[in-house]
Amino acid sequence: MSFLQDNIVNWVIFSPLAFVALVALLPAKEEGQLRAWTFIGMLINFGLSLWMYLSYVPKGGAEFQLETRAHWLDSVGMSFHTGVDGLAVSLMLLTGFLGPLVVLASWTYIHTRVKEFHLALLLIQCAMMGALGSLDLILFYVFFEAMLIPMYLLIGVWGAEERQMAAMKFFLYTLLGSLLMLVAILAIYFISQPAGPRSFDYASIYNGLVAANRELATCAQNSAACVTMSPMAMTLKTYGPWLFLAFALAFAIKVPMFPVHTWLPDAHVQAPVAGSMILAGVMLKMGTFGFWRFAIPLFPVVARQMRPVFAALAVIGIVYGALMCLAQRDIKKLIAYSSVSHLGYCMLGIFALTGEGATGSAYQMLNHGVSTGALFLLFGFLYERRHTRLMSDFGGIAKVMPLFAALFVIITFASVAVPGTNGFVGEFLVLLGTFKAANLSLWFGGLATVGVILGAAYMLWMVQKVFFGPLTQPANLSLEDLSWREALTALPFVVLVLVMGVMPQPFLDRLNPASERFVARATIGLSTSPNPFNAPLIPMQVMPLPGLPTAAPGAPAVAAANPFPPNGP
Amino acid sequence: MNIPTITAQDWVPLWPALILTLGATVLLMSEVFSQRHTSRAYQGVLAAITALLAGVTALSNAFQPAHGVFLGFGVLDPFSSFLTVVVCIGLLLATLLASGFLRQRNAERGEFYALMLFASAGMSLLAMSAELITLFINLEVLSVATYALTSYLRRGPRPSEAGFKYFILGAFSSALLLYGIALLYGATGTTLLYTGTSDVGRMASIATALPAAFADPNKKMLIFAAILLIAAGFAFKIAAVPFHMWTPDVYEGAPTPVTALMSVGVKAAAFAAMLRVFLVLGTATDPKLAMTLFSTLAFLTMVGGNLLALPQRNVKRMLAYSSIAHAGYILLGVAALFAVPSTPNEFHLLGSTTMSVASEATGFRSDTLRAILFYLLAYTVTSAGSFGAIAALERREDEDKPFAWDLDRFSGLATRRPGWAVAMAVFMLSLGGIPPTIGFMGKLLLFRSAVDAGLVGLAVVGMLTSAAAVYYYLRVVVYMFMRPAPEGQIAPERHWGTEIALVLSSVTVVVLGVVPGSLSDWLAKAGTLFLGN
Repeated sequence: MSFLQDNIVNWVIFSPLAFVALVALLPAKEEGQLRAWTFIGMLINFGLSLWMYLSYVPKGGAEFQLETRAHWLDSVGMSFHTGVDGLAVSLMLLTGFLGPLVVLASWTYIHTRVKEFHLALLLIQCAMMGALGSLDLILFYVFFEAMLIPMYLLIGVWGAEERQMAAMKFFLYTLLGSLLMLVAILAIYFISQPAGPRSFDYASIYNGLVAANRELATCAQNSAACVTMSPMAMTLKTYGPWLFLAFALAFAIKVPMFPVHTWLPDAHVQAPVAGSMILAGVMLKMGTFGFWRFAIPLFPVVARQMRPVFAALAVIGIVYGALMCLAQRDIKKLIAYSSVSHLGYCMLGIFALTGEGATGSAYQMLNHGVSTGALFLLFGFLYERRHTRLMSDFGGIAKVMPLFAALFVIITFASVAVPGTNGFVGEFLVLLGTFKAANLSLWFGGLATVGVILGAAYMLWMVQKVFFGPLTQPANLSLEDLSWREALTALPFVVLVLVMGVMPQPFLDRLNPASERFVARATIGLSTSPNPFNAPLIPMQVMPLPGLPTAAPGAPAVAAANPFPPNGP
Repeated sequence: MNIPTITAQDWVPLWPALILTLGATVLLMSEVFSQRHTSRAYQGVLAAITALLAGVTALSNAFQPAHGVFLGFGVLDPFSSFLTVVVCIGLLLATLLASGFLRQRNAERGEFYALMLFASAGMSLLAMSAELITLFINLEVLSVATYALTSYLRRGPRPSEAGFKYFILGAFSSALLLYGIALLYGATGTTLLYTGTSDVGRMASIATALPAAFADPNKKMLIFAAILLIAAGFAFKIAAVPFHMWTPDVYEGAPTPVTALMSVGVKAAAFAAMLRVFLVLGTATDPKLAMTLFSTLAFLTMVGGNLLALPQRNVKRMLAYSSIAHAGYILLGVAALFAVPSTPNEFHLLGSTTMSVASEATGFRSDTLRAILFYLLAYTVTSAGSFGAIAALERREDEDKPFAWDLDRFSGLATRRPGWAVAMAVFMLSLGGIPPTIGFMGKLLLFRSAVDAGLVGLAVVGMLTSAAAVYYYLRVVVYMFMRPAPEGQIAPERHWGTEIALVLSSVTVVVLGVVPGSLSDWLAKAGTLFLGN
């Protein structure tokens, strides 16, 4: 099995593509077969991602594991380099987990162009896995962009009434940010490495910048040091803020953070259930993942300077999202705005730059994928029955759909972070990290806590209006409770909510080392940095390709002399 | 005095052009022996085979080191071979499209293909020209053929208007170019670009005479004027803003297969000639001047082309503006070509100590040149393919109507002809530069060079405009996939030629978008050998 084991990341990325070929060859009329084969493909993908998750050595292992590398475009230093760290492997597991459930959720929901729909689902799965698993900046960018196309079609073809506008808005918004990021990627590629053959490899670029970033950090604390900086640090000082902003804009749109979030409610409301689940479940995390993997580690000093701004935007997102939820009459829009609020916690946790905050943020990314994915799924069941999204059209549903109500309420508890559910662990860690964060006013944590209360208010208010009280609408009297297929689709979510709430440790084991490394990188050159091994270099352990630069000069030697302690200080 | 002799060796580089000319002659003669009602389906096949043969011949020349032929009037180098290959690919796709297109209009005649082949022979020779008069003659060969092709379908006012407009403005631009050449000759006393590439050719050349002339204050203004006039002449041909006015009308009025050939072949050949001339003019005078000139043109063209394309509902016209915009991206690469050696560049402050400045500059230039060539090929395949989809959808009876190419024509294409819709979507994404298509790889390489050259601001403008461009490209996708087909609209007719062209180009777009390696390596070699000249 070593053939599978050695290339497990590639298998996870490309196994959906194999099923694309299969599904494309099936006749379009065989809807049952199309669904079944897509489901099997997703199930295999989930199995592989679980295997990969379990193969990742959480304690004592290297940061990036299960790496593979192949030739791609040698002459400009692009290589097909894949591998995972603790965060990526967890998010890939989440993606794999959602895959089969998304197919199940659309089993009776989609009746037009069934074949194309399932092709889009498989393609999107491949692109999301690829973006999370790639260690080459261009490769990441290719997958990051490629996932837009099937998502665009999902919203635009199978969406609700205003789908075309929403799809276009989604596409253009995201694209605008990422194109600027492409220029920034190119610039950092030239800045981080000396003339000669350069590489788009993440490790090469990161390692190439470490020394300059350390100089910049010294310069930020002591202006006398600014005079004697190396040319690279000088260049980084001039261009760094712009480059960081270009990266940050691309990812902030994807998250979405407060002022650039306006595409999200439209996209969510118009998207079909599957689209909303994928969008909320995984795609938004590409933004937080991008901050974690690229924007902050590559430009730690600028990120620290801009920390108040981003933390403030995150808090505004939390409170504003919650307030918008309180004002909604449309349930799907409410869930969409709750995403803005929840992702605000993720961003706040990242910008707290503390171990707890980062771990909480990462955990919250997983939680949000599970609980919001489940909310969209459950609401999809209701929408399929009644074809309305307005809260006022419901009321007292619990009487006719008791099972549905029970499941929905459990997920709601997860969403409002009741202890015992996964949401509690994540939000608690984020708030703890924020309060502990150095140089971050207590206001941030305080306002975020207010957001928790608001979150409980809008969710419970919505639950009350939809599920309890008298059955006022005659159309609701004849609603049927969940079928066994629907219940079976929702059950994994409920189980996971409780498991992640009661036993977070197996998940945290993989996230913790990743967040320690992240914090160490983000706090490079700071005296308050929690880690004596400041900003570990990324060891370049993977087989070098002939004709390709493997690392910035000197990097491997430094990496060997300064191994990152696997379990932190 | 030595009488220069032409050796057999001189004929080798001409083979592609000779094959094209031979094919054209045969096609012309075929009309003489054809009855009015004989089937002419073989003509399209013959033209396509000729294009293929010429392309393969050019490919076999591709790795010869650069050497002058015909006393240095022409140069065979990987650059010209590659351009010939690009032209032949464009020609192949255009002839495949034409066979079905002309059949529907009952206009299949040998002279149409003959003109296409003559034009392509001109393009191939243009890419090889290393002497300004030769260059001008080849430019005219290709231009005159395309003027005629533009108004080939004589029905209705549109083709005549397009042909007339193209002819008048084309003649005007040729005059500008010629004037520039005359001034340059006045300043340097020669029209040869390079020196001493043949055994007898020890004549003075622009490359050697220009630096001295440029240093002479009396001649400096003359040279400035010459450079500007020559640049304007080429800018007309490549449709750069503000010399783009003719493009939308001509592209719209011409028969769609001809538009395909114009948007790819004519443009590629004109870019080739411009690069060859300006690599001499730019480096022999002041590279900064050339950089400023091309940066300005690139900025105007990227912004202008994309903004003008935004409001278009007429897809053919939209693609005409889009071809202007893409010329802008290529111009960005051309500007980058002149940026490094003269302008200090922050990114290069980090420069290594191992490479000398000169070799660094050559390496950079060969990178940039590769990016330009790659982009030309990417645009050729994608653009020819998208015009192919338009040709496939076009209906003869609507030609003069204002809605002939309206977006509505694409409504519900995904249900009527799913294959075509997927191919067109691939082309649109590639034109928009979305991975994983060849258009993305082209943009990546081009913008990489631009950033390397320090043209970061221009690169950002390019990125922003391409974000805007995605809007109008995606609109076509919206109509194809998200709008229902109008009532009573019948599925468009199929034709083998069109379908082959669509499959060929869409597969190439995706395959080279995913694995660009081999092509890019070849281009790297082409770029190095060209500059090594």
